[in-house]
Amino acid sequence: MLAELRAIAGSENLRLADGQLAVYARDATPLFRGMPDAVIAPADTEQVARILRLATDYGIPVVPRGAGSNLCAGTVPLTGGIVMSTVRMNRILEVAPEEMLARAETGVSTMALGDAAAAHGLFYPPDPGSRTVSTIGGNVATCAGGLRGLKYGVTRNYVLGLTVVLPTGEIVRTGGRLWKDVAGYDLTRLITGSEGTLGVITEVTVALLPDPSASRTGVAYFDSLTQAGRAVSGILTAGVIPSTLEFLDRSCMDAVEQYAHLGLHPDAGALLLFGDDGDEAVVARSFERITAACEDSGAIGVQTAGDVTESEALLTARRCTLPALSRLGSLTILEDASVPRPRLAEMVARIDAIAARHRVTMATFGHAGDGNLHPTCVLESAEDTEGIARAERAFAEVFRTAIELGGTITGEHGVGAAKLPYLEERLGSAQMDLIRRIKTAFDPAGILNPGKLGS
Amino acid sequence: MTGDDKVSHTSSVSHTGSVFDPQLLSRCISCGFCLPACPTYALTGDETSSPRGRITLMRALASGTLPPDDPTLAEQASFCLGCRACEPVCPAGVQYGELLEQWRGFQWTGRRRPLAVRFLVFAAERAWAHRIAGRLRGAARTPVAASQRSLMLGCFERSLFPEVSRSALALAPELAVPVRQGCCGALHAHNGEPERGGKLARQLGAQLPGQIVTTAGGCAAYLSTVIGRERVVELSEYLQNRVTGQVRIGGRLARVALQDSCHLRNGLGVWREPRALLRSVAEYVELPGAARCCGAAGTYALVRPRDSRRVLDPKIDEIEAAGIDYVVAVNPGCLRQLRQGLRRRKSSVRALHIADLLRLAAD
Repeated sequence: MLAELRAIAGSENLRLADGQLAVYARDATPLFRGMPDAVIAPADTEQVARILRLATDYGIPVVPRGAGSNLCAGTVPLTGGIVMSTVRMNRILEVAPEEMLARAETGVSTMALGDAAAAHGLFYPPDPGSRTVSTIGGNVATCAGGLRGLKYGVTRNYVLGLTVVLPTGEIVRTGGRLWKDVAGYDLTRLITGSEGTLGVITEVTVALLPDPSASRTGVAYFDSLTQAGRAVSGILTAGVIPSTLEFLDRSCMDAVEQYAHLGLHPDAGALLLFGDDGDEAVVARSFERITAACEDSGAIGVQTAGDVTESEALLTARRCTLPALSRLGSLTILEDASVPRPRLAEMVARIDAIAARHRVTMATFGHAGDGNLHPTCVLESAEDTEGIARAERAFAEVFRTAIELGGTITGEHGVGAAKLPYLEERLGSAQMDLIRRIKTAFDPAGILNPGKLGS
Repeated sequence: MTGDDKVSHTSSVSHTGSVFDPQLLSRCISCGFCLPACPTYALTGDETSSPRGRITLMRALASGTLPPDDPTLAEQASFCLGCRACEPVCPAGVQYGELLEQWRGFQWTGRRRPLAVRFLVFAAERAWAHRIAGRLRGAARTPVAASQRSLMLGCFERSLFPEVSRSALALAPELAVPVRQGCCGALHAHNGEPERGGKLARQLGAQLPGQIVTTAGGCAAYLSTVIGRERVVELSEYLQNRVTGQVRIGGRLARVALQDSCHLRNGLGVWREPRALLRSVAEYVELPGAARCCGAAGTYALVRPRDSRRVLDPKIDEIEAAGIDYVVAVNPGCLRQLRQGLRRRKSSVRALHIADLLRLAAD
């Protein structure tokens, strides 16, 4: 089989040495490891198809991997096999301004795609925190969210068409270049967020918007995160949909400040980061409303960024919150619970109580406007097994609370191996069965990303 | 422990757990934010040659998952440029440069040390013996008072580009130039002898007791980590707001671009200063990849000439496309690398050290 793999991708793109395999044993998720038997980097859709056909014949697991920046252990080869890296497929194929779309190979970085669109006066809105490194294929596979979700939605709202290689080697092209197209089941949406369990995405067509002419960012400070959560409700009922509405608690502010030196408020308990874009006049009006709503909710200070650089610095700092948190301890375990917006303040308070009960340090930040929270457990040491166990018990309770409040166990990071044990609680057994039957229809040999969705 | 020379050798016994400072090693959370900044990852697209991947390898070495003689460990310890471009983009604050020094301190001991590295470190030690030439000899005086500022004469610069120190002295004649001065130890520290590097830096700190002004970004960064940032001033920092004149070519202002020194930028955060100086005397053009390593990377250009050229080539393309007269370096290694690349391309662009360019302006 190795000889055949070598013949397909070339020996320089097949990696077998222990050290080369060790670095593909994990992604950005802590605590999950699985040693692959080989790493292969195909150059195009055709090579992907040949590799998958071979893997199905031999019954060898294949784990597709973009940048490996996911936070759900979605690309960890739990049962070994082949890690298929998509980074060589990194060409932007076209930007079509008259159709307002772009077509790119799967390994193009989210930022490169955004820059290519911007060069034509267009805008690709989804911006996950890892956009400088994440690939568009990975974004589609995980249906990545980001800081602009509130106003613009998430990755799925922009995917028009996909080229996907099925585990059995067939190449299918779902959707296409059309906004309206109801011919058949919406497989594009099914594969978006399928986390590499149904097929390997090799090409993506995304819809673009006109680049907003103006954008601004501001910060409001509060005594507590609960209070910031209440301000979110105030803003959203004031007739504004900000492009960005994020919050950070004090621990997160400290971590970010250490990295980015922004001069954040030294004693506020929480920060609400807000932003809007569009026509100058519209942005100015929504800023008035947001500021008023924050002040009505007891903000202890509201500041708006002076220029684009300052705005960008604030947004960058927010995107870096998770890695910056690792300044506080050696191990950071992060979660991704999401609740309906009106329950946000309640959820924040419940998380605090859960953290206290389980004696863990929990720092919380997240996409407040989406009700999407990232409570993050910071532990002194990765070897602290007792601490990890306490963190896991606390998180199990966080999930249960989210579900109880009408929310979900993962808003945007995905299920992967990390959330799979909790998935049935969220979906129920009938849906779990259906998911497994869908998985079997796509992947009869069960070779694609085993131990994740559909397993 | 006595005899610093012995330390690195005795550490090659099987206690790989003590190779790294565990606090430093545990900082990385594998988020991957470093990938786009890494020049070797850009060449290969392989995690193995990314900062995140190399830290995974270091951990495998520390935990014993990979044996010390694993070929991937050896290859990656040497393939890394050590440019530290991963550090400013790391939100977690991983001190990659420090970890690399510790890694090479273990990896490059005894027979595992690349032959070219052995030769170069030997050559550098010999270079101190070089006599100070020309104008410098006249200016040289000993001893130096602690209140004085001294000009440091880099080991390689002294033999390859003696004119750089002369220009620096022309721009800042008040600097003392002690005859006896050793090596700053950066070369050793980056090439598997961290203890010896530290010892040399401390020695140099004692030989030049006041503030040390250096024309080499790499030396500035390393020396700062050992003797303290407050005692080290890189030349472009030192000359802020003190340079006058213009560099003109054929009746117009010269167009100049800067190539950052990796350690000066990523280690010390000094990158605005040389740009400000260049803007004050010429028309400044920012190269798109000015902050990216040129491939000189200390001994790298000699240890891995092929990879060094692969890193350099796109930069020469940029320089050629920028329509500039001069590309300016703030570190002698970069200067040598750029000159060689431009010569191979038969380019009309000239590479100069910032001291030489500023002197052109003053003349």
